[in-house]
Amino acid sequence: MGAYMSEKKYTKDHEWVSIENEIATIGISNHAQESLGDIVFIELPAVGNSVKAKDEICVVESVKAASDIYAPIDGEIIEVNNNLENDAAIINQDAENEGWIFKMKISDSNQYSELMSEDEYKQFLEQ
Amino acid sequence: MPINYKTGIINEHKNVRNHSGIFDVSHMGQILIEKNESYLHKLEKYIPLQLKKLIKNRSHYSFLLNKDGGVIDDLIISNIDIKDKSYLYIVYNASRKKEDEEIFISCAPNAEKIYEKNCLFAIQGPDSINVLKNIIDIPNNMNFFDILISKYDNNEIIVSRSGYTGEDGFELSIPNESAENLITHLLKNENTMLCGLGSRDSLRLEAGLSLYGHELNEKITPIEAGLSWALDKERLEDENLNGNKVLSDQLKNKLSNKKIGLISTSKSMLRDGMTLFDNNNNAIGKITSGCFSPNLNKSIAIGYIISEFNTDNPIFCEIRKKFELVRINNLPFVKKNYKKNGSIYE
Repeated sequence: MGAYMSEKKYTKDHEWVSIENEIATIGISNHAQESLGDIVFIELPAVGNSVKAKDEICVVESVKAASDIYAPIDGEIIEVNNNLENDAAIINQDAENEGWIFKMKISDSNQYSELMSEDEYKQFLEQ
Repeated sequence: MPINYKTGIINEHKNVRNHSGIFDVSHMGQILIEKNESYLHKLEKYIPLQLKKLIKNRSHYSFLLNKDGGVIDDLIISNIDIKDKSYLYIVYNASRKKEDEEIFISCAPNAEKIYEKNCLFAIQGPDSINVLKNIIDIPNNMNFFDILISKYDNNEIIVSRSGYTGEDGFELSIPNESAENLITHLLKNENTMLCGLGSRDSLRLEAGLSLYGHELNEKITPIEAGLSWALDKERLEDENLNGNKVLSDQLKNKLSNKKIGLISTSKSMLRDGMTLFDNNNNAIGKITSGCFSPNLNKSIAIGYIISEFNTDNPIFCEIRKKFELVRINNLPFVKKNYKKNGSIYE
């Protein structure tokens, strides 16, 4: 059996989440990187931290402004994208793939199902 | 004026430093005031220059001052003739139009707000002269802060060699009906591009130039802001100048605060409003402007600290509840590249 790969979901804070075997990968949406503009620095979260949904866990700095990244769901940070340390602009180039920010072991998969689907996120952006 | 156009702030910034960029700064105030003796006398209450003695076809960086010598606005004031009549042409901040115009109109009731019919474009960067060549007549001997009347589309336009980026460049005040033609014409040159507010801010910060509402406000005098070079010292003896006593005292005595440039030693961004500390956790000052510097690839800032602080000691900036070491850097961060010959600028 291949690993279960869920559809990508989105939060109202313009983050995306995808889940594979209870591991969530999180980044900011393409829309978010476009509105932030040139991203020059990211303060990555600490691996091993347990966090709750809506906790501020790290910061993305663009030329325009600093912007908080929130935990989309409860869980433990298990990995961060170290490539972003030296080149945060990867997020501008490929926000929803190579520009992933951190991975979490999630504790409550119901929280995930409550997030927006891609279509719902598109509608949310149009509001 | 948008924050940036399609290619982003950093790209626009670098294009200005290396080639050329065009800023649509039509939101700024532009006013023409007839050079009549009574008007000039009234204006000299607010402006620390000898207005009657200004050299023709030259621009000056100056201020409108309040009763305490605080800065109501900073502005560029020029002396030009238009159709055989002599005028002061003043360019001032959009955010201060109301305050400034109240003063201009009270001193000179027939002052003409020409931003209502003229656009203002800044063409900045080392290639600006080549972008304008063959489109607008620019004499070879035109220096930084020279100003003259030229022509485009059979309309008279005001051309000054000036700007807000630390680079060579020009500002063109052109009637609205010709503005689109001119921009389309200029953009045919591949060395230039439209630039927005974001790169305008990072360019002026690298050049160590002040921004009203940040380094300057009604509670800061030009001397406290490190801009005493722009004051006519003779005028400080003149009772007719607002705040003349405060200003001449400040020139003689030690100031309580000083303006400094800062560079981040980490990758964190220094931003407006952040507090500065010494190594004993005492607050010693504040950042007034901060940004990412594309030329230095680090964050840079301008701020004020108390004068008694010994700058050989380390300074920390509080960034998201952490103290990060910052380094003092003389202003400007990037060397100015003006074409000058006896310019009053610096």
